[in-house]
Amino acid sequence: MLKKILTPWTAWLGFLGIILLGGLIAGILVFWKGLGITNLTDLVPWGLWITIDLSSIALGAGAFSLCAGVYLFGLKRYQPIARTATFVGLIGYTMATLALILDIGKPERFWHSLVYWNTHSLLWEVTMCVVLYLTVLVFEAMPIIANLEWLRKRLPKIAAMMERVHHYAPFLAIVGLGLSSLHQSSLGATYGVIKARPFWFKPEMSVLFMLSAIVGGISLTLFASMLASRLTSKAKTNDALIERVAHFVGYLLIGYFYFRAWDALSTTYTYDPGRSEGLNLITKGPLAFNFWIVEMLFGMIVPMIILLYKPARTNRFWRMVALLLVAAGVVAFRWDTNITGLLVVMPYVPGQAIAYTSYKPSLIEIMAGAAIIAYGLTAFSLGVKYLRVVDHSLIEEEHAKVKVEAVEAVGI
Amino acid sequence: MSDKHNTPAEKTINRREFLRLTAVGVAVAAGTRAVTSTKASSDAPKGKHQWAMVIDQSKCTGCNYCTLACQAHNDVNPDIQWNIVVADGMVGDMQIFVPRPCMHCEKAPCVEVCPVKASYYRDDGIVMMDYDRCIGCRYCQVACPYEARSFNWEKFTGENPAVPEWGTPEVERRPRGVPEKCSFCYQTIDRGLALGLTPGIDPDATPACVNICPTGARMFGDLNDPESLVSRVLHENPSYRLRENLGTGPRVYYLPAFAEKKEA
Repeated sequence: MLKKILTPWTAWLGFLGIILLGGLIAGILVFWKGLGITNLTDLVPWGLWITIDLSSIALGAGAFSLCAGVYLFGLKRYQPIARTATFVGLIGYTMATLALILDIGKPERFWHSLVYWNTHSLLWEVTMCVVLYLTVLVFEAMPIIANLEWLRKRLPKIAAMMERVHHYAPFLAIVGLGLSSLHQSSLGATYGVIKARPFWFKPEMSVLFMLSAIVGGISLTLFASMLASRLTSKAKTNDALIERVAHFVGYLLIGYFYFRAWDALSTTYTYDPGRSEGLNLITKGPLAFNFWIVEMLFGMIVPMIILLYKPARTNRFWRMVALLLVAAGVVAFRWDTNITGLLVVMPYVPGQAIAYTSYKPSLIEIMAGAAIIAYGLTAFSLGVKYLRVVDHSLIEEEHAKVKVEAVEAVGI
Repeated sequence: MSDKHNTPAEKTINRREFLRLTAVGVAVAAGTRAVTSTKASSDAPKGKHQWAMVIDQSKCTGCNYCTLACQAHNDVNPDIQWNIVVADGMVGDMQIFVPRPCMHCEKAPCVEVCPVKASYYRDDGIVMMDYDRCIGCRYCQVACPYEARSFNWEKFTGENPAVPEWGTPEVERRPRGVPEKCSFCYQTIDRGLALGLTPGIDPDATPACVNICPTGARMFGDLNDPESLVSRVLHENPSYRLRENLGTGPRVYYLPAFAEKKEA
């Protein structure tokens, strides 16, 4: 009896459940006691949760990039991967929303950001785009959700309706591409426009956020698909397809590395108050490991070699390693960027020296953050099992069917 | 509808049309906005009065009375200071101080970045906070070059140690979860003006920190009035503002301390 219940699947769900429970407790404590129980301060008002928020949005970027590729640039054969990416994107954006609700001081006023507009604020733009894009993602994910066995049996009409949304995919892809390009880069600009903090104040910020999001987002989707197909028979992948996209990620990495390296290098030439101190933090200080090892070496160079070198790329294990490293590197980039700008305390009193502050997330922050990630993993796991989110055979059939119908309708 | 979209020919036309429509829509929206948005949040205020503060560093002794009076009149949590006095360098053998209220910038980064317009300009130049609208995202705190904003990490309950010795509260306590900052005692200014008083001259219309200062290091008044104390002092003396290179245009001016003045 016990053996029947304790399968790897239930053990996995149980493990996630424990983390989710911890996060629930942490979340209730935060709403009840306020942000005072976090380690955030007036000098470091943005910490772990903002990083999770930024990272989930960045890693959800596979949805818009792959949908644009499939529906706008005509790379139809990659549609099964775009389908997975859409679901990953939906998870990522809901994770970001969860993190934000926790992070703002007045969560009950979250709707103010939709009602009271300051069109000069990048955060306003990001909020609007994220909300609209989340709506687009819900529509894009409808054909996937229509796969739910229960829905098909109980509400076949609604399921069929949801499936039909599939036909509007190109339009949704256009809107998604526009909205994503806007807010992915604006999230960088959110930091890039802050003149008071010279480490952030540069126009490249938006370019770097956009590029890293595309690279990281596609990588995470590919990694998740491959991992799922390794672990369960519910996930069926077409490895040739994944390998080709992974190859493309390798080339994208060259571009990302080029911009990132030049961006870092260009700040080294003269002493610039604030900026040079920030550079010290990431190249020699407490963030040096993150910057050199996680971001540069294992986040870009190593996966670049693996993904561009055919014998390594065709090896599924190494390809998975490379893709995971890319995603981790993007998360490290978000963390380093946010925290470095805050740790350097610019003096407002003339002649005073630039100071450093420190930040370590509290247990509550870690518990709640881990639960947000656990929510994402749970949603993906359930999606693989019940919605056939990673199923490269499924869509290909549908596509073939659509094609035949189309030919008939034209009447050749 | 779905039959329609199954035909590739129609699909492409629709897509192209859709693209064109989108482009036209965006262009029209942008054009309309460019024409109609004459009053944006970043427009510098142009009211009848333009309040400013002048702080004479040669007179400031670092007694912290201003901080205490501010805590009392604005009912500020003792963990938070709207009006902090920071020790700076030495002039001769005298310690110099920089008292720092909110700078009430002409181009305030906090107003620019606030996603919900909870930070805004009053016509008289005061940078105000709408504590009922703020969502607590803390972007303003991140953007402020002067650390002038403090977040209410906890609710301020209990007694205010500065009351009643240093004054009585004139405004409501801020809730937990919003940042707060100096408001140039707008409540005093508004009440004073309604009574026909002149801020900067009549104590009943002047910010608490200016009234309490025992050495007269703080001056307050209207920059639009060439005869006001602040206008005259700024006209006759060299002055500077904090982090002026950022282009924020602070309304708090400092008269630097010189050795001979400090001794006198």
